Amino acid sequence: MMRLSGRLRSSLIIGGQGIRARKLRTLLSMLSLFLGVLAVVTVQAGSVIAERAMLSDIEMTTGKDGTLQVFLPSSPESGPVAMDTVRGRPDAVAMTNAQAVIGEPDVRPVNEGGGPIDDAGGGYDTGVARYCDPSGTCSVVADDPDAAPQPRGQAIELTLQGLSGDIRQFRPFRLESGQWLDFGSAPSLAPRIVLNTKAAEAFRQVRVPAQMRLPGAVADPTPRIVGVVEDGGWAPAAYVRSDELLTWMPVGAMADPEFGGVQLMMSPGAADLEQILRSRLTAAGANMDEFQVQPIDSREQMADQLSLLRWIFLGMAALVLLIGVAGILNVGLATVGERIEEFALRRAVGTPRLLLAGIVLAETLLTGLLTAVLAIGTGVVGLKGASWLLGGREPFLANVGFPWQAGVAGVVAGILAGVLGGLIPAVRAARIPIATVMRA
Amino acid sequence: MTPLIQLTGITKTLTGQEQDRTILAGVDLTLHAGESVAVLGRSGSGKSTLLSLIGLFDRADGGTYLLGDKDITRLPERRAAALRSAGFGFVFQRFFLLKHLTAVQNVSMALVNGQGWLPRRKRKARAMAALDQLGIAHLAKHKPPRLSGGEQQRVAIARALVREPRILLADEPTGALDTETGNLVVDALRATTERGCGLVLVTHDRDHAARMSRVLHLADGVLSPAEVRA
Repeated sequence: MMRLSGRLRSSLIIGGQGIRARKLRTLLSMLSLFLGVLAVVTVQAGSVIAERAMLSDIEMTTGKDGTLQVFLPSSPESGPVAMDTVRGRPDAVAMTNAQAVIGEPDVRPVNEGGGPIDDAGGGYDTGVARYCDPSGTCSVVADDPDAAPQPRGQAIELTLQGLSGDIRQFRPFRLESGQWLDFGSAPSLAPRIVLNTKAAEAFRQVRVPAQMRLPGAVADPTPRIVGVVEDGGWAPAAYVRSDELLTWMPVGAMADPEFGGVQLMMSPGAADLEQILRSRLTAAGANMDEFQVQPIDSREQMADQLSLLRWIFLGMAALVLLIGVAGILNVGLATVGERIEEFALRRAVGTPRLLLAGIVLAETLLTGLLTAVLAIGTGVVGLKGASWLLGGREPFLANVGFPWQAGVAGVVAGILAGVLGGLIPAVRAARIPIATVMRA
Repeated sequence: MTPLIQLTGITKTLTGQEQDRTILAGVDLTLHAGESVAVLGRSGSGKSTLLSLIGLFDRADGGTYLLGDKDITRLPERRAAALRSAGFGFVFQRFFLLKHLTAVQNVSMALVNGQGWLPRRKRKARAMAALDQLGIAHLAKHKPPRLSGGEQQRVAIARALVREPRILLADEPTGALDTETGNLVVDALRATTERGCGLVLVTHDRDHAARMSRVLHLADGVLSPAEVRA
């Protein structure tokens, strides 16, 4: 152990002396390697940031990895049973889906069908013709071909999701403004809603009186918009506390089977809940063939989407790194050629061949590590700059931290390049005969 | 008393492109502690080859090489390196000082050879002591380009002595120096024998050879006593 330590120290000391003595050569080696290591750092940092952004998007739209998504049968009993079963449970949230129209009474919404709003303030044609009755409740025209069409007016149709608890433990929405729903306070008569960014965009373009028409509601409540979140959705949507909706509509009407009915999101540990639901719904006579439990595999989805791209970019970075290795190899061979006498002399004073090889490898390794530090520093500064310049436009770049994985990849690339580039010069140095100094 | 080294019937043949050439054809040599031996001979007679065999740079084809009472004729390279570090000091015609290191660093480089470990302070102290022994401690911080030929050779001798070798091998150490400086260098080499070190000096200079305890002549691959007048 002592001998190994002595040799290691010796090679580092002599390697350091060699670097100091040939600063220009070291700089040239570093230059040739810098781009390669920077490419590896950039690809790794880019893929980690893309992974984070993609995972965040997937988690917002589908849910966190491992979360259990439960689809309940589309029978009238599902809503009441689900609401009753999850009450007071922090590990599960029941979600009801319904279409709501917010705006002027007795008009067709600008985005009939609940599609996204275009830049001009109109809705994209979803291909779904709808009829709105005098109370403002709309339904698909195909169901009532004789009904008279209503005029199009200042109203927006959106998906209204009633929540029995805080869904953000399963779907981490990003709060854009205002605040999220407060599930701790007493329910309000005027339902408090949180819009998604698509709905907020629609309301910015179409300023409408706030009257909310809900299918099956006893009256049209006036909603209070309390916040805006990014939920990763493509169409206008809003979130509301289920108990605040219950003031205006019966529990059976809250879940519109046409738009998803009742769903539950629950943590993997809430297995007992699944059993309770099964038992109660079976007892209520629901069609249990429609009862489905699906674990969310957001990481797997993301890995599938990113793996090919990552390998392509890593391959390109490896090629650039290889050019850097060739640079180190070239400079290393030239340096060993120049230092034949020094190496022969070192052997003459008792330096073993292995240590001579170690000296050359230590030099290239130190060069590789210095280059890695430089490339990582450049990456950190570059990312800070990109975050500062583009963070406002690209949310995934706002306040983004330099991924440690990119730092590790840079150090590994530097070490690998140092070893690969220094191996042949090291072997040559170890083979220099001592007699060189005798015949000089 | 056991001699420091004892070579018996040493042979060495160099393999050439056309024909092999026998350089040493049965060399016998004994060196005792505190003894100095000069080896004279024409260029190409095999003096440096003999020195490289004694210094374990190379291996003899035949014969026996005893270091003390140990037979080291067939020593593996790893152990030879350890022995070179522990027992031998070398001085060459060209000084082989590393230009980017100061005189004291050039001397202490012999202590950073992977054979044991000395802390920096101890290395420097020993290097300074070796330089002081040669009377050039005041040049410790000078780099080789700023030193004269004689000073450089004395730094090289200090490098050879810093590990306190039992055997000092010098291959034409005065070849690149003027007479006066050469005499100073030979004085320094002889002084090492007074401390019990054995010295083998390969030289063309008969005056320098005459100052050694014994003078040998290498011709036709064989060593024989030579007579020189000081």
